[in-house]
Amino acid sequence: MGVSVLQPGLATTVQDVGRPGYYNVGIPPSGSLDQYSSLAANLLVGNAEDAAVLECTYMGPELRFGSPATVAVTGADLPPLLGGEPRPAWESFAVGAGEVLSFDYLRSGARAYVAVSGGFDVPAVLGSRSTYALGSLGGLEGRALVAGDELPIGDAGGAAPGRSVPEALRSTHPRHREIRVMMGLYDHRLTDGGRRTFAEATWRLTTLADRTGMRYRGATLEFRERVAPFGAGSDPSNIVDAPYPIGSIQVPGGVEPIVLHRDAVSGGGYVMVATVISADMDDVAQSAPNNTTRFVEVDLRPGRRARRRRAARLEALREALA
Amino acid sequence: MVRRSFGGDDHIFVEFDEEMNLAANFRAMAVTATLAERRIAGVIDICPANVSYQVRFDTDRLAPRDLVAELESIEAAVGDGTGFDLRTRIVEVPILYGDPWTRETASRFRDSRQDPDATDLEFAARVNGFDSTEGFVAAHAGSPWIASMVGFVAGLPFLFQMVPRERQLEVPKYLSPRTDTPRQTIGHGGCFGSIYSVRGAGGYQMLGITPAPIYDPTQTHPDFADSLVFFEPGFIVKYAPIDRETYDELTAQVEARRFCLRQAPVEFSLGRFLADPDGYNRGLVEALDGR
Amino acid sequence: MSGAGGPGAERAPTVAIRSPLPGVFYRRPSPDFDPFVEVGSPVEPDTTGALFELMKQFFEVPAGTTGTIAAVAVADAEMVDAGQVLFTVRGS
Repeated sequence: MGVSVLQPGLATTVQDVGRPGYYNVGIPPSGSLDQYSSLAANLLVGNAEDAAVLECTYMGPELRFGSPATVAVTGADLPPLLGGEPRPAWESFAVGAGEVLSFDYLRSGARAYVAVSGGFDVPAVLGSRSTYALGSLGGLEGRALVAGDELPIGDAGGAAPGRSVPEALRSTHPRHREIRVMMGLYDHRLTDGGRRTFAEATWRLTTLADRTGMRYRGATLEFRERVAPFGAGSDPSNIVDAPYPIGSIQVPGGVEPIVLHRDAVSGGGYVMVATVISADMDDVAQSAPNNTTRFVEVDLRPGRRARRRRAARLEALREALA
Repeated sequence: MVRRSFGGDDHIFVEFDEEMNLAANFRAMAVTATLAERRIAGVIDICPANVSYQVRFDTDRLAPRDLVAELESIEAAVGDGTGFDLRTRIVEVPILYGDPWTRETASRFRDSRQDPDATDLEFAARVNGFDSTEGFVAAHAGSPWIASMVGFVAGLPFLFQMVPRERQLEVPKYLSPRTDTPRQTIGHGGCFGSIYSVRGAGGYQMLGITPAPIYDPTQTHPDFADSLVFFEPGFIVKYAPIDRETYDELTAQVEARRFCLRQAPVEFSLGRFLADPDGYNRGLVEALDGR
Repeated sequence: MSGAGGPGAERAPTVAIRSPLPGVFYRRPSPDFDPFVEVGSPVEPDTTGALFELMKQFFEVPAGTTGTIAAVAVADAEMVDAGQVLFTVRGS
């Protein structure tokens, strides 16, 4: 027995750890944008780390369970309700057959993760159950959920309800964030003033923020004058189409930088000036429209240190929920 | 000049040239093909592009300086690329030029176009100095194109025509991007052609449409038994103009899951191509006929 | 909510209508139209009080209660957070 989708929410998709290895043909890694929270949800219900969860963006779905299950909600502060009664986030709880899981309004963050014991058992495509909607690939029929969908659930070994992520290991979602970036790629195309503006501006996330990319507003970056190379467009922010790193920050026309996330377009003709370090991609995913961000420049060494610290935090999570 | 940059802590980006040219493209393909053959632990994605390439890697398993050293040794071995033969294939892609579906789509985006009263094909012909669309089509379909990069979205090839620069077709992109493009539209923007693998946004002028699917996430068409993406970087395309009757026939074959693209394995040598582009291209195209 | 207490505010309790999502708040259906509601407009639960936009999708915000608009808390075309008060309605 599976889960019936009564209301789909705004953009709810099946995701897992992703689909690496196909970016060379334009298929991005996909997977939960906030991998830390997604892992926490799976561990809480006793799932394998690569089990599929639901990623709920800005608004939760309404789900009726066909059979009893253990459920956990992590990530954004999107308070879960069972039969209309509050249930704790970052803790596993029991859901009975026929019960309805819904959500209160978003309090902070942007994306909540719902794990069910057994995992959402949609077919794996290229080794992953993650939804890549632009390519109609993976997940449930390659798309976001709609009302009336039936989600199959895998066989649950499952953990008993009542497990909890220690307070220190729960993510919090401030309205302002500092996101660490490594300058590079085509940053030499910026003037000194353009670089300064990029680092000093307070960037506000616009409503154009989805799994492909997050578009910010706040200042205009100045580019160096140049003669357009053959094959690049005429605008100073154009380049001959190049690969786009996951996390890279492109600035079409010098306005509204876009941070690409795990459903990235794999390449294109806009100047990229920096890339978010891997350790901070979960935080980028939890910025909501109207939240603000400063991009803080770091070098490779601190970038790798941050990556190791994040790995240690994931390890602490595994130990706490072992 | 080779320019190298890290893209965050888990990508390395290498650019061979700022302007589009086949030699830089070929170096990117040769280096990435060699890297893939070496099967280095910790390498996640190897993405060749028009004049650059990118490697996504797991820095916990592969130290950045070790990867850089590896790439430097491969780049040195590849040199200017003229000694490297790329094992690839040539594919014949049928096109209905000036088809009714892309024309209808273009008519919905009048405000985004340089000349709303001409079709995209007529505009492309005029800006390239042709008196008629027939002349433009003859140039467009007359010489093969190389998939210099695959991406943007799943399976979309960027195509660069294998002719000297003075014969390159160049067409400005739409003034602002469309929100809609039919699937399998043949597009052209700047010096690049493309085949839109999925329906969606786009900014290239729309010249025609092919009945052939190039992306099949359901893997039910015969060409997609092994992969849901048809194109790989380095594939060579020869366009074949078709009329509406043939288009409808081929579409019926596609719908019956019987259609296969004509293709043949070829080796591509940059050195021999540069020595005699037209003669070399003729030889490539003959491979399609099994000669 | 400062601004909610206009003349006669002490007479009846007000209800805050909050944005269910983060997005851009629009007081009018399009720039050439009058606002959906003004201070003093009578509303029913299904009266549209505002539109807001998120990821290029537009959503209507119903008043959700019966009464009159006591205050509009957000300027037209301003960004709002989920849960932010958009306007207040004085019950009748």
